[in-house]
Amino acid sequence: MKFGLIYELSTPRPFTRETQKEVFENAIDQAVLADELGFASVWSVEHHFLEEYSHASCPEMFLTAIARATKNIRLGFGIATCVPNMHHPIRWAEKGATLDILSGGRVEFGTGRTSTWNELGGFNQRPEDTKRAWEEYCRVIPKMWMQERFSHDGTFFTMPERNVLPKPWQEPHPPLWVAVTGQGTELDAADRGMGAMILSIADVERNIPRFQAYRERIKTCEPVGAFVNDQIAVANWLFCHPDKDYAWKRGEELVGTFGYMAGQTTEISEAYPSSNYTAIGLLGTLRADPHAQDKKPLASGLCFGDPATIIDAVKRWEAAGADHLVFMVQARETLPQQEVIDSLKLFAKEVMPHFSGEKKKAAGGAR
Amino acid sequence: MTELLYGRRAASTVGANAPVLDLNRSDELEIKDMHVYYVLFETPMDAALARLPTSLHPAIPAHFGITFWRAKESAIGPFELAFVGLACRSGIKPRHFIHGAFASTQEAQAYFSAKYGFPCRLAEVRQRELYDRIEGSIACDGRTILEVITTHMQPVVGAGATVKYSPALCAAETSAGRKLVQLETSYQFARVMRGTPKATVFDAEALGDAAIKPAFPMSGAHAITTAMLHPPRFMVDPGTPAESGGAQKLPR
Repeated sequence: MKFGLIYELSTPRPFTRETQKEVFENAIDQAVLADELGFASVWSVEHHFLEEYSHASCPEMFLTAIARATKNIRLGFGIATCVPNMHHPIRWAEKGATLDILSGGRVEFGTGRTSTWNELGGFNQRPEDTKRAWEEYCRVIPKMWMQERFSHDGTFFTMPERNVLPKPWQEPHPPLWVAVTGQGTELDAADRGMGAMILSIADVERNIPRFQAYRERIKTCEPVGAFVNDQIAVANWLFCHPDKDYAWKRGEELVGTFGYMAGQTTEISEAYPSSNYTAIGLLGTLRADPHAQDKKPLASGLCFGDPATIIDAVKRWEAAGADHLVFMVQARETLPQQEVIDSLKLFAKEVMPHFSGEKKKAAGGAR
Repeated sequence: MTELLYGRRAASTVGANAPVLDLNRSDELEIKDMHVYYVLFETPMDAALARLPTSLHPAIPAHFGITFWRAKESAIGPFELAFVGLACRSGIKPRHFIHGAFASTQEAQAYFSAKYGFPCRLAEVRQRELYDRIEGSIACDGRTILEVITTHMQPVVGAGATVKYSPALCAAETSAGRKLVQLETSYQFARVMRGTPKATVFDAEALGDAAIKPAFPMSGAHAITTAMLHPPRFMVDPGTPAESGGAQKLPR
C-alpha cells in the first residue's frame, strides 16, 4: 500500500489575493513535508470556475513548484483534462514531458474529461463529445512521447508530421491513469491498460466489485501506452490525531465543508441529459443516503481517527485490492495549517510503518 | 472570517399569500404518457442571490428551469402545467425554487396549489412536438409571456436515457408554519430527446421575477414518461440559515 496527497486547492471566501496565496503556499509546504515523510505521491486536480471548491486550474504549474522543492515524491496529474476546448493534446504531451524532465522522471499522467456544467459550459464544450475526445487523447499522447515524429488525422484534431518536444525523462513514458467517478469507467481504464484513480470516495465494501472487475478486465487489455499500469488508487480523506473523537469531529467538518462546496456545482447529469454522463459524481458517494433524515453516517473507509483506527481502515482498503490511497487533507482551510502538518507527521510515524515497503516504493517510483 | 454563499432574501418576504397545505396526506397521482419538456438557462448570479432566501444556496453557475407537463388523461382530467424555478441547493441536493406556475385547467390549478403549493395561475399552456423542434408557450389573458423552442433534437439512449429533474420547492403555509415544500415525483422514461433551447418570448416579470432572465442556454429535453406524484416528503424552513438548516424529512 502506498500513500499520497491530492489537492483541490479549495479556497474560502472572500477571495482575497492573500487568502489565495496562503492556500497555495500551505499546500506546497504540506507536499514538501510529505516528501520528507515518505509519502509516495502528490496529485493535483484540474478544475475551472469551481468557486471555493477548487482553484486548481493549472495543475502543471502547481506540480512544477512542488517538483523543484522535493526529491522523491511522484507528481500526479489528477487529472490532465482531455477536453478539446480546454487543451490541445499536443500541449498536454509537451507539459507532461516538461514536468517529467524538471522533476527527474516523477510524473504520473492522469487523464479524464470533467463532470460539471460549470466547466464544460464555461468552455462551451459539447458534453456528448468528451468521452470520445478523451479516448483519442489517451491514445495519441503516448505516441507523441515515444515517436520521434508523429502525425494524426482524427476526429477531434489533425496534425501533420512533427516532432513533439521535449520527450519525457521516463522511458518509455510516464504511467497513465484514468480518473474514475462513474460506474464502469474502471473498465474503460482496464481496457486501455491504464491505472484507475477512483474518485468516488465511498465505503470499502461498495468498491470491492469494481476493483475485482478492473483486475479481471485488465488481464485482456490492449494498452494505449507502451506498458500496462495495473494500479488502483483511491481518493480518501485523512485526519490523524491522538484523540480519536477529536479526529472524527474534525473529519466531519472536512467532509461537511467539502459537501457544501461541491454541492453548489452543477453536474452535467443534472444540466444536460446525455448518455455519457449518468453518474451522480463525487457528491452522493460521500454519504450513505443523501435523503436520510437523521444525521448521515460518513462512508466507512475514510481515514479519520487515531493511528489505530486509521491502520484498520487502510488494512481494509488493502484487503479490498487498493494499491494506493490518495488523501485530501484540507477543505477551504477549515483546519489550521499546523493541525494538517501534525496529522501528516503522526500518520507517517504511527501508520506508515505498518504497511511495508512504503518508503522503498516511494523512492523507486509509483510503478 | 469565512463567507458563505447563500441567498440574500429575507425570509419574511417569501411566500406571501402562499397556499395552505396538508402535510399529512398520503394520496398519490399517477399520470401515464405524460410529456415533459424541461429547459434550462443560465441567469446572472446577482439575480439568483436576490431571489433566494438565506435557507438556500444558489447553484453555480446560477440557472433556472422551465418545466412543461402535458397530461392527456389523469385523475384530475387532461391538463397542461408549466412552472419556472431557480436552481438552488439545500444540502447537496439540487432543487428548483419555484417563482411562477401556470395551469391550463381549474382542476389542475387547484390540485397543484393545494397539494404542493404551486403559485398557479390559470393560463393557456401549450407544449407541442413538431418535426424539427419542441415548443412550449404560456399565454395569460391572450398575451404570450413565454415561448421557448428547442431545436437540433437528438435521442438520448442507453443507460443515460433519463432526465434528472431537480425537484420543485414551493412556499406554503403548513401546520408547522410557512415552509418550502418539495414536490416529489418519480418517473419511468419511455423516450428522451435533448436539444438546444432558445427563448423567443420571455416576459420575466409576468413569469414571476423580473430579474430572472435567460443569459446562456444549457439544454432542452423532451421526455415521454409515466410520472408518479408522491405526497410531500421534504420541507425547508425559509428562515433557517442554510448552514444550520437544510431539507427536513417529514415524519410519517
